[in-house]
Amino acid sequence: MVLSALAQQVVNGLVVGMVFVLLAAGLSIIFGVMDVINFTHGELFALGAYFAFAVASTSWGGFWVALVLAPLGVALVGGAIERFTIRPLYGRNPLYHILLTFGLVLIFKDVIDFVWGTSRKFYQTPELLSGQPFQLFGVFVPQYSAFVLIGGAFVAGVSYLLLERTRFGLIVRAGSMDREMVRHLGIDIDRYYTLVFAYGAMLAALAGIVIAGRSTIEPAMGDSVIIPAFVIVVLGGLGSFRGAVVGGLGVGVIQSLLRSDVVYEALRQDFLPNLPVPDLEGLVVFLLMIGVLLVRPQGLFGSPEFHDPSGDGELLTGAGDGVLADDTRRRLGYAAVGLLALAPIGMGAFYPVYYVNSVLVLVMIWALFALSLDFLMGYTGLVPLGHVLFFGAGAYTSVLFVQEVVPSVFLAILAGVVVSAALAWVVGYLSIRVSGVYFAMITLAFAELGYQLVFKRADIFGGENGISGFDMVYGLGSGPVVGELTLLGEIHAFYYLVLVSVVGGYLVARRLMRSPFGSVLKSIREAEDRATFLGYDVTVYKRRAFVVSGALASVAGSLATLHNGAVSPSSLAWLKSGEVIVITLLGGMGTLYGPMIGAGAFFGLKEALLAFDIEQWRGVLGVVFVLFVIYVPEGLVSVPSQLSDRYDFGGGGEPTVDPTPEAETEVDD
Amino acid sequence: MSPDDKRRRGRSLSDRPVGRRSLLRAVGGTGVAGLTTGLAGCLGDLGGQGSDGDDGEDGGDGGDGDDISITYGILSPMSGSYSSLGPNQRRGARLGIQTVNENDDLNVQIDGAYEDTETSQEPALQAADRVVQNEGADFLMGAISSSVAIGLNNFAADNEVIYNPGGAAVPITGSECNEYVFRAETNTAQIAEAVAGYTVNNLGTNVWFHIADYTYGESVLSRVRSRMEEENSNLNVVGVSRSELGAGSYDTYISDIRSSDADVAVLGMTGGDLVTFVNQADSAGLKSSVTLMGPTMTFQSVRNALGPAAYGTYGGVRYTADTDELDNAQNEDFVSAYTDEHDSPPDNFARVGYQSVLMTARGVHEAGSSDPQDVIDALGGLEMDTILGTNRFRECDHQAENPTWMGELTEPSGGGPADVGLISKVEGPDAIPPCEETGCEL
Repeated sequence: MVLSALAQQVVNGLVVGMVFVLLAAGLSIIFGVMDVINFTHGELFALGAYFAFAVASTSWGGFWVALVLAPLGVALVGGAIERFTIRPLYGRNPLYHILLTFGLVLIFKDVIDFVWGTSRKFYQTPELLSGQPFQLFGVFVPQYSAFVLIGGAFVAGVSYLLLERTRFGLIVRAGSMDREMVRHLGIDIDRYYTLVFAYGAMLAALAGIVIAGRSTIEPAMGDSVIIPAFVIVVLGGLGSFRGAVVGGLGVGVIQSLLRSDVVYEALRQDFLPNLPVPDLEGLVVFLLMIGVLLVRPQGLFGSPEFHDPSGDGELLTGAGDGVLADDTRRRLGYAAVGLLALAPIGMGAFYPVYYVNSVLVLVMIWALFALSLDFLMGYTGLVPLGHVLFFGAGAYTSVLFVQEVVPSVFLAILAGVVVSAALAWVVGYLSIRVSGVYFAMITLAFAELGYQLVFKRADIFGGENGISGFDMVYGLGSGPVVGELTLLGEIHAFYYLVLVSVVGGYLVARRLMRSPFGSVLKSIREAEDRATFLGYDVTVYKRRAFVVSGALASVAGSLATLHNGAVSPSSLAWLKSGEVIVITLLGGMGTLYGPMIGAGAFFGLKEALLAFDIEQWRGVLGVVFVLFVIYVPEGLVSVPSQLSDRYDFGGGGEPTVDPTPEAETEVDD
Repeated sequence: MSPDDKRRRGRSLSDRPVGRRSLLRAVGGTGVAGLTTGLAGCLGDLGGQGSDGDDGEDGGDGGDGDDISITYGILSPMSGSYSSLGPNQRRGARLGIQTVNENDDLNVQIDGAYEDTETSQEPALQAADRVVQNEGADFLMGAISSSVAIGLNNFAADNEVIYNPGGAAVPITGSECNEYVFRAETNTAQIAEAVAGYTVNNLGTNVWFHIADYTYGESVLSRVRSRMEEENSNLNVVGVSRSELGAGSYDTYISDIRSSDADVAVLGMTGGDLVTFVNQADSAGLKSSVTLMGPTMTFQSVRNALGPAAYGTYGGVRYTADTDELDNAQNEDFVSAYTDEHDSPPDNFARVGYQSVLMTARGVHEAGSSDPQDVIDALGGLEMDTILGTNRFRECDHQAENPTWMGELTEPSGGGPADVGLISKVEGPDAIPPCEETGCEL
């Protein structure tokens, strides 16, 4: 009885696992061959389902026709993405691929919304597969699941043979090892990359179609698979096809076994004590991911058939000499702060209250958040995908502090800083052992752990409803309530609290950057090996930077919570980590003030679009972002110097008349 | 000059030729002059003193027959995980606003401002800020996610605006209630009243509960189970299983349910999770041995997504566009107007948008004023005709006393999404839990 229950769950797990395999294989291959971390994979998955729906809805279409045509369509889309947006980025740091594909996600989401609307779609499974489930030795296998198993195995097998036994696969694998060499041999490797990306996209689309039959088609379907897909890719090994297969099937089976009451009960009686497994299900996956990254970062099948360990491009920062002199820049800074300080006065008279009390406050909070990220990214070169963890930790800690201890806003923010700094120390200690993509992944896993924890422990953290209805006061125990203390009309003291915090944060960061500590950080970014040779313990410096960065992010989180009057798990959503990276890049990394400008641009653009009733603002921002990543990677702060280079703003804008005629005849430049 | 030289050369004001400087001075001077004059005229408005959150309001007297004009902010999840439901809520609210404006018996004119909550608290609060401060809205309606709605509850109390939540969790008019909140959506306790008794008495006493591991799921489990226990002492809870919110695969649980003695499985999930579960259960042939019942099974979006897989399941019903069952004049007008405009009958979420606006507008009319405090005093306990029949926002918790039904999903003659057959009705005052049990202290 238990044996057949066990067998049943294994079969269930294999079915689920097969879908994971299709998803993870594409993602893994793309990374392994091209060093591209493809966040768009979730949207390609969704696009596959929607294309299939479109084909199946026509009079000549149907399940089987859609199964062939839709993946081909998505393959074309994938190829186009590679050709026109990713190819310009080869040679650059993988961060730019993450950013680019993130921007593409925003675009795809709005395109899908626009074309198909937001309602859930019904996808008809074919008559052939809708009969009674097969029964073998007491194990029920629904017909559609059998199709998934067999079809998935077939596709996986074909893919493997393609990579191992064909000339195409040989070239692709060679290219991943040494791209230049392959080119010297006369092979246009770029065209192969396009095909690889297209193939990966096709696999994702197949997964989407399969899911459409087993589940539902809705716009957010990509979001729910992208993180699990990354987890499996990491477990199996980035770039390893075998790893994706084993990882996908393995995770599917383990998940199934752990979920089953029957199996769990049997195991519990025989082996395990009272383990609250259902509680841990969400956490187990990320703990596993962290464990693998710490112990064996290359995953189960590491040092696999595809990986190019070199090719780490540098992070293009907006730092360096710009058009403006230092003192001009300083004056601009004072002017900006001055304008911000005076802005509330014009409310009501020149512009609505909303733009100051809501938009400007939000901009300033995100400016601080982006600043904290820039401290890390722009100066040490570490790219965390889980920075939202510290933002959220600050948010939740300050609320809990106010509820349990004393409602002082200053102490609450301080409590948040302390907790976040400690958390950053621990997370940093564990994460900084690995670098590059692995560092990004492990920070993402920690952030997701935080999210799951907060969601699950409704007793402490309020679950998905979060915590609201708290009051913080200006003072140590009692005093005027934050949000109610106004200086004049609608001018809230809170606005100035935020302004002071942000300016303070900037000054602290800048002070640190100008200290010997900061110089070492900059040298680590420029040439880490050299810094090590000079005798600096690079890891310790990185960890300290991580802690400072976490502390600053925590202040932003506490302020955001005050602004909202509530905290909820959305304060820890991974999408926020992506958004803050977008903002930092938009403004310009490595300058501290650049990301703050980025925050202004991001929210300013959003509000402007909304004012014109353009609800697809996300897509527009995505387009802007993609263009920036490709053409202006150093961010907005670099625009003046780029323009001046291009248009030669020499000598007051008038063309310089060369005083020495001989110069014109010289052969130079 | 090499590019490096250009970059290194600093630019400062002293480099500019004299002509430019004097021009700048002149421009600056005029500008300052203009600004100061403008400023002087606006001193009274500085710092937003002039706008106290409801600018553009006549407030006061509607007693002389003039229409009271109000601005209604409609905040719907147009993106994010509930984006499949948001558009209908918006449509219903929009139609409600139109209906009020065209109704000569109601001395109310409404201006609608439509925003997207993104199914998340922060953007929803931002959107609420936008309509309250920019558009001068004194009334808000919206959200479907209960966690977003609770955030807006607090916003409404802080900003002293009236709010009609679209979320169904009990705490919204329970432990998180406040006097500004008036809910026209049916809550999970009211639905449990309709489904618990019928299920245990007619579908089977061996019950398996499968819920999604979050507040909604837990509330379905606790309410339905306790109501079932009261209705039938033979209730035998065969098993309780929980899945992750958003889990894509339920085969495991389906296998466990199949191998148990359950006659009926009660599903405490909604949206995509429910659709996926029923899809996979149907594929696995579970329905032949176990009846499936889910409080939200009858939602239009669920039925549309499931197609034939939903035939033979059961669910709670909050609203029906069947004008034979809900045969009052208001519902007939609503259904025909909505169907004319959108080519399909209204669903529950459209109903909530419509009902919220109409009931609240009635309160404004009765109060003779748009001031939220006056409306609160008038609207609490005010009996009126609504699309669900005679109804009111109960005084003790401002929850509408909506009737609820048990529904059976059947195969329609032409195939396609399941039809909902109404089996039994629980009247409004019977469905709503007693005031003492809600945890609300108004």
